[in-house]
Amino acid sequence: MRVTEKMMFQAGQVQTAAARERLEKATTELSSGKRITHAADDPAGSGILITSKISQQRYSTIQQVVGRAADELNIAEGVLGEVSNVMQRGRELAMQLGSSQFNGADRATSSNEVDGLLKTVIGLMNTEVGGRYIFGGTKDGTPPFDAAGVYSGDAGVRQVEIAPGVVENSSLRADIAIKGVGGGADVIQVLQDFATALRTNNVQGIQDALVGFDKGINQVSGARKDAGASLNILQTAEQVSMLSRDQMRIQIAGVAESDLIESASNLSLANTALEAALFATAKSFKLSLVDKL
Amino acid sequence: MADLLSILTQGANGLSAHRAAVQTAAHNIQNVNTEGYSRQRVDLEAMSPEYLRTNAYAGMGVTIGAITQSRDAFLERQIPASMSANAQYSAESQSLRSVVALNPDAKGGLADSMANFYSDLRLLGQFPSQPGLRAAVVGSARNLAYSFNRTAEGIAASRSGIDARVASNVQEANALGSRVAALNSQIVKSRATGGEPNDLLDERRKASDRLSALVGASPIPDADGNLNMALPNGMVFVSGDKAAKLSTAPDPANAGFVGVQITKVGSSTAESIASGGLGGEVRGFIDARDVTLKQSLDSLDTLAFDFANTLNTQHQSGFDLNGNAGQAVFNIGATSPGASSSISINAALVSDNTLLATSGSAAGVPGDSSNVLAMVATERTSLSGGTNAASTLAGIISAFGSRTREAAARADQEGSIASNLASLRESVAGVSLDEEIINMTKAQRAFDAVSKVISTADDMLNTLMSLR
Repeated sequence: MRVTEKMMFQAGQVQTAAARERLEKATTELSSGKRITHAADDPAGSGILITSKISQQRYSTIQQVVGRAADELNIAEGVLGEVSNVMQRGRELAMQLGSSQFNGADRATSSNEVDGLLKTVIGLMNTEVGGRYIFGGTKDGTPPFDAAGVYSGDAGVRQVEIAPGVVENSSLRADIAIKGVGGGADVIQVLQDFATALRTNNVQGIQDALVGFDKGINQVSGARKDAGASLNILQTAEQVSMLSRDQMRIQIAGVAESDLIESASNLSLANTALEAALFATAKSFKLSLVDKL
Repeated sequence: MADLLSILTQGANGLSAHRAAVQTAAHNIQNVNTEGYSRQRVDLEAMSPEYLRTNAYAGMGVTIGAITQSRDAFLERQIPASMSANAQYSAESQSLRSVVALNPDAKGGLADSMANFYSDLRLLGQFPSQPGLRAAVVGSARNLAYSFNRTAEGIAASRSGIDARVASNVQEANALGSRVAALNSQIVKSRATGGEPNDLLDERRKASDRLSALVGASPIPDADGNLNMALPNGMVFVSGDKAAKLSTAPDPANAGFVGVQITKVGSSTAESIASGGLGGEVRGFIDARDVTLKQSLDSLDTLAFDFANTLNTQHQSGFDLNGNAGQAVFNIGATSPGASSSISINAALVSDNTLLATSGSAAGVPGDSSNVLAMVATERTSLSGGTNAASTLAGIISAFGSRTREAAARADQEGSIASNLASLRESVAGVSLDEEIINMTKAQRAFDAVSKVISTADDMLNTLMSLR
């Protein structure tokens, strides 16, 4: 094939330009750590990158939400534990004050303590977390119990998404746990009746309160168990979400991020290729009859 | 005496022939870098011999037969189509590659905005009455609408940028068409006087090559020496010494983007040319604008429309903090065209985020978040294309990437063919300095020798003249 000067110069231009382009690409890939900047770099990978990024944030948020819900449920469970303690104290008082060792004056005096226990329970059940009353059901903007122990909350149960499309309860129903809706004991009413019995020296009423306390303690304990079960689910979901989020991170890295060793190797290769192209071009330019005559 | 004088005449002819050879070599050397130049060569011919009475023929020296170009018609026939295809896919590939609106890893892009929106909805679901979380959802909804707008604007800006390129190419094509027509006229006239206008042929070929690359015009030589040019749809662009005029005009049927028109030779009416009737860069630009980018924008519009309607429907089935039924979250038109550029958030929600319908019932206000969870579930709802919003977006980006990659691959393939053909043509028609220096030296030596012949003849004449 007949080779002209223009062919040699064009070949030099094309080869060095191609080598420089490869070098620039390898440098960019290594310095940015990214292998996809334009959808054309890897069309299928680009689609995976989009869905993986959205999934990563989804699991990250689910983890965050579930974590917050678990914290709140933990607080609710702790509050019910305190209520249970109060009920135990009430039961102890009922046991003691129901005996013949105590007289009416003793009982009347003790009724003050029971009034205090009642206030404690109402205060506990009006616990506010982050600006909302956690035992109010969906009516969480105002205290669910008034001073008389009347419940103004509702039967609503909050739920959170623990995995895409799967929800779990994140609140307790105070109407059941405390007010005994559905055939249980009204814990507040038990305390109020007990205090009245003490003030009126109604020994039978005091002894009857024991039944209410036992029923109430079991009822609160049942609610705590439900809370514990939900808490376990939430904590597991938090872990799973964290793992899923990390899995998505790995997937994103696999698709979008460049392999450091491979990038460095590509850079070295591109550098060598450019040097070779420049050397070959320079050599070919030197060989001309113009310089020999 | 007469014979000796003829030697002098022959010598003069020989000097002239070899001087022409040196001149041609010099011309070639000086045009070594001239684009489109084909090397020329002097064809020397022996003069008709003189009959001598001794039944012999005496040579009468050398003369110039012709100065011709080294060209390969077979190769040159293939080059315009190859240049057109290469230019078409290169233009399409470059246009698509320069679009950044659909970059998959863009910070704050549509994927991020969509992820943030659903993320903020999930956070709100855990505490629906919390004002800060409500404000965050409104903010991320506004940002999502803005991302749709920005992406659509980015695509529209790329399409408008292509319009400017098409207009510029059409102007250049007109100038080249007129140039080819003018050169046709000059070449026909030059040939009529008996010479071969080599440099004019080079200039015409260079103009026609560029015309092929710009609009895909094919050269069709005729018997008169004209090079006529026809567009891929068969419309004549250059006919002899006349050229049609291309123009651009906004096409109302194509959202006002420019279309290419032709005013044929002898006509004053401009006719529209479908993109398929063109080739070269203009076709590549139009394909990028009206096929790939339009498909991406249409898909984006459908996504925005479906997404907004799905979310609005769910939101409207819930109840706000005041116990009223929810309003639409996004303002969206009645049909999908233009949805991605027109989608916006309902201003009422921006000024009052208590209007976010988080509860599934009026009685559940303010703590019920069932409608938020239902809105979160729309993330998995299949839209009109059969996939959910995230997958639909991923599909749009992937399809755009595939089309860009395909155009780049075809540009590489056609570029390789065009480069190969250009190399082969250069191998035949290009100037080799080594070769020209050798030719020049060869002609110089001959010139020196012929000078010696003249000198010898002169000596012989002097000898004759000095006889007494």
